[in-house]
Amino acid sequence: MQNLPLTRREFIRGTGGLGFLAFSGVAPAFLARSAMAQTPAPERDRTILVIIQLAGGNDGLNTVIPFTDDRYYNLRPTIGLKNNLLNLNDDLALHPACKPLHELYGDGKLSIVQNVGYPNPNRSHFRSTEIWETGSDSETYRREGWLGRYFDNDCTGSPKEDGTDADPTAIHVGDMIPQSYLSANSHSLFGMKHSGRFDRGTDPADLAYEKLLQADHIEGNASYLQHTMMNTLVTERRVEKIIAKYKPQTSYPGSKLAQSLKRVAALIHADMETRVYFVSQGGYDTHANQLKNQERLLTELSAGMNAFQKDLDAHKKDEQVLTMTFSEFGRRPAENGSGGTDHGTAAPLFVMGSKVNGGLLGESPELVTDVKKDLEYSTDFRGVYSSVLDKWLEADSSKILGEKFEHVPFV
Amino acid sequence: MSTAPPTPGTFSVEDAWKPLPGGFWQIETAQHFLRRVGFSATPEAVEAALRTSPKAYLAKAFTPGAVLPESEKLKEFTATIAERQRHIYKEVEDEEEKRKLRREIQQEENKLFRSFAMDWFYYARQPENSAHEKFVVFLQDVFVVEQVKVKDPAQLYSMQQTLRDGAHLNYPELCKNVSRQPAMVRYLDLAQNTAKKPNENFARELFELFTLGEGNYTEDDIKEAARAFTGYRLKNRNEFFLAKKIHDKTKKTVFGETGNWDGDDIIDITFRQPAAKTYLIRELIKFYLTEETVDEAYIEALGEQWADHGYSLSYLVETFFQSRLFFHPSFRGNMVKSPIHFYLGLCQDLRLDVAPFQGRVIRSMATMGQSFNNPPNVRGWLYGEHWINSTTISARRQLVDYLFATLNEKKLNGNDQRDLEAARKAGRGNFLVTNERLKQVLGTSPDDLAEHFTTYFITAPSRATYLETLQSIIGDTQAEGANKRVRYAIIALLQSPAYNLC
Repeated sequence: MQNLPLTRREFIRGTGGLGFLAFSGVAPAFLARSAMAQTPAPERDRTILVIIQLAGGNDGLNTVIPFTDDRYYNLRPTIGLKNNLLNLNDDLALHPACKPLHELYGDGKLSIVQNVGYPNPNRSHFRSTEIWETGSDSETYRREGWLGRYFDNDCTGSPKEDGTDADPTAIHVGDMIPQSYLSANSHSLFGMKHSGRFDRGTDPADLAYEKLLQADHIEGNASYLQHTMMNTLVTERRVEKIIAKYKPQTSYPGSKLAQSLKRVAALIHADMETRVYFVSQGGYDTHANQLKNQERLLTELSAGMNAFQKDLDAHKKDEQVLTMTFSEFGRRPAENGSGGTDHGTAAPLFVMGSKVNGGLLGESPELVTDVKKDLEYSTDFRGVYSSVLDKWLEADSSKILGEKFEHVPFV
Repeated sequence: MSTAPPTPGTFSVEDAWKPLPGGFWQIETAQHFLRRVGFSATPEAVEAALRTSPKAYLAKAFTPGAVLPESEKLKEFTATIAERQRHIYKEVEDEEEKRKLRREIQQEENKLFRSFAMDWFYYARQPENSAHEKFVVFLQDVFVVEQVKVKDPAQLYSMQQTLRDGAHLNYPELCKNVSRQPAMVRYLDLAQNTAKKPNENFARELFELFTLGEGNYTEDDIKEAARAFTGYRLKNRNEFFLAKKIHDKTKKTVFGETGNWDGDDIIDITFRQPAAKTYLIRELIKFYLTEETVDEAYIEALGEQWADHGYSLSYLVETFFQSRLFFHPSFRGNMVKSPIHFYLGLCQDLRLDVAPFQGRVIRSMATMGQSFNNPPNVRGWLYGEHWINSTTISARRQLVDYLFATLNEKKLNGNDQRDLEAARKAGRGNFLVTNERLKQVLGTSPDDLAEHFTTYFITAPSRATYLETLQSIIGDTQAEGANKRVRYAIIALLQSPAYNLC
C-alpha cells in the first residue's frame, strides 16, 4: 500500500492502474469499474459546506453583547461583560475572546446572523439538537437530517450502485454519524478522527485484516461486505495519506476543534469531491462558572475558525468553502445562582467565507426585564438552512425542508 | 452458496415445513440453527444442542414467564411518576419551578432508559435468554415504538415485556395487548383518536405494518377502523382505560363486515383476511432466514397451517425453526448480522461480559446503526445489507479493536469508574480479551489453530477461502511474537466479511 492515489482523479489517471492495490487476489469489481470509467464527472469547483456544531447550547448574549442595553447588565449582574469588548456597531460587540473572528468580520468574511431559533422552543439538549439537525419544527419528529435529505435529493450514487463514486459524499470528524447526515438512501459517509497517528497500513493487525479481505468471495452478501470494506479501506488510506502529507499555510492551535479543521482543510485542498464536512466542539453547557468556560471555548472556536479561513485563503480554496456554526439553543437572558446560565432559546450563529456578504444580519433579540422570560427568536434557523441550500449548494430548499423559508442574505 | 434456493419444483412444498429428519441434525445444521435462533454457536453450545433436538431446544429456550429483571430505580419511577406529574401540573405555580421539575423528570427518564438498555444487553447476552430475546427484537421490529417519541422508560419496559410474553400467545391476542400498551398509545397517537376527531395513525399501521401489509386494505377500511379505536386513553400516566364518552359507538364497516365494532373486534376481523395468514411469516423470513424472495407457495402453505392453529406464535416458532426449509443449504451463511447480533454474538463467542460502560455500548450501537429502542421510523429497521455502509463497517471494526484493547482504568471518567466498580461487585469482570487468554491456544499448530478459528467463528461457505491466509498470519506458534500474531489473526477474522454473516 505504498503509492495510494490521493484523489479519485489521480487514482483514475494514475499510470499504476489497479496495480496500486497490493491485493493479490481478484480485483474487486468496484475498483475495476472505476478504473475503467475513464470519464469521471467533469471536475468543477464545487461549493463545499463546513458545519461546526457548538454542542451544549452556546450563550448568545455573551457572544454578541448588547452593551448599551441596561437590561443586559440587570439580567447579568455578575457575568455581564463590560471590558475589552470588540465592537460590531454602536450597540453590539463580540466577546473579548473572539478577536480572530472580529478580524474576519472586519475583512467582510464573517456574517453574524442574530437571534436564530424556532417557534415553541424545546430546552432539552437531545431534542433541540434533533430539531436543528433534522430541520423540523418542534412538534414534528423526523429521522432524516437536513443534510441527509440534501444528499438524497441532490447527491446521487451510493457506493453500492455506483462504483465510480469513490469520494465520500460527506465527512464528519468523530466516531458518530451526525444526525444531520442521516438519509433515506445510502450514501458514502466517512468518519475520521480529529487526531492520532497514521499507523493503519503498517500496523500488523491492519495488514492481517487486509490479507483476509483478499479472500475470494464470489457472490452474495459476503461479496457485498467485502466490497464495502475495501471501499472504506481505500478511502481511509487516502484520507490518512492526504492528512499526513498536508502542509497548512497557517499554524493551527492545538485544540481538538482546530486540529479537526486542519484535517478538513487538507481534504479540501486535495480536491476531494466531498461536499459537506461536519465537526463538533463540545462543552457549551455552561450552567456554572460560565465566564471562564465560555471564554476558553470561544477562544478555541475563534482561533480555529480564523486559522482555517486563512489556510483556505492561502491555498486559494476560500471561494469554494462556506463555514457555518450552530448550537442547539442559546441560554437564558438572566444568569442563575452559580455564575452560569440555564437552557434558553435563540442565539446568534456565524457564517464564514470569502463569498459571504459579511455584517450583522437579522434583528437583535428584544431583551426582557422579567428574569423568568426567555428570548423570542427573530430568524428561523430553517431560513439559514434554505439560504445555504439554495444559494450555496444550489439545491432546492423547499424539497428538502418541506416548505419555503425566508432567505438570510449572507450569500 | 453454490446451492440454488428452493423452488416447488426441486423442494416439495408439502415437506418444506416438516421437521428436519433426525439424521440431519449435525454440527453444520446445529451451527446454522444456533446462530439464527440466537447470536452465536460456540463449540460448547453446539455440543449441547446436539445432545438434544431442535424441538427440545426451542421448548427450553422459549420458556413462558421469562422476565427482564426491573431495576429498583425504574420500579420506583413507575410507581411515583403519575403523582409527581400531577404535583407539577396542579400544585406548583411558579413557572420556573415547573420547568425545573419537568427537566428533572426528563433527565431521570433518560438515565433510566440507558440503564434499561444496559440491563437488556446483559440479559440477552446470557445464552439461555438469547433465543427468546432475539424474538423480542423481531417483534419490536414489527410493533415499532421509538424512545425519542415515547421517552418514558417505564412504558418502554412494559412494552418490551408485553412482546416477551407475547411469544407464547396467539398473534391476534398479542395485537390486542399491544394496542393497549401506553407506549403504543402514545407512539401512534391513539390517545388523540376521538369520535369527533379521528386519528388514523394506529389503524393504518395495524393493517400495514402489524398484520396485512400494503395493498391489502382500502383507505375506507382505515377510516372506519380508526373509529373503532377511539377512546383508547391513558390515566395516571401509564394505565390504559377505555374512555366511553369519546368512543365512537356508531356502526363501522371494515373489510365488508358491518357492526358496532370496538378495537378488539377490528383485530378479530383483520385476522379473517387472507393476507393475515402470510404477512408475519414474510417478516419472520426476512428477519431470520433470507432477504431474498422465497417462493410464495411455501409462505402460503405455512400460512394455512398457522391460521389452522389459531395464529399461535408458539406453533409458528416451533414449526419454522425446525423445518426443512429453515435448514435448506441455500440459506446458510449469507445473512448480515444486525448490530445487536454482532455485538452480543461477539460477547458470547469471546466469552465476555457486556462492558459496563453505558456511554460506549450505547454509542457503539448507535454508530453501527441500531440504537436500542430507536429504530429509524415506524417501519423499523430494514435489516440485511442495509446495515452495511462505510461508517457502520468502521464502527464494527472499532468495536472488535476495543474488545481486544487493554482497559486503562485510570483514564475512565467518573461515571465509567462507578459502573465498572458496580459490575465487579455483581461478579462481572470479563470485559476484554486479555493476552493471558490468548496464550492458552499457543500449544497448537498454526494449521490446527486456523482450522479451529474458522470452524468456531465463521460459517462454512467462507472457511476454505480464509484458511490459508489465517495460517500465514499466525505463522510459527512457537516462534517469537506468536501471541501477537494470534491476536491479529483473531481480530482480522472477527472484522472480516465472513464474521459479519451468519
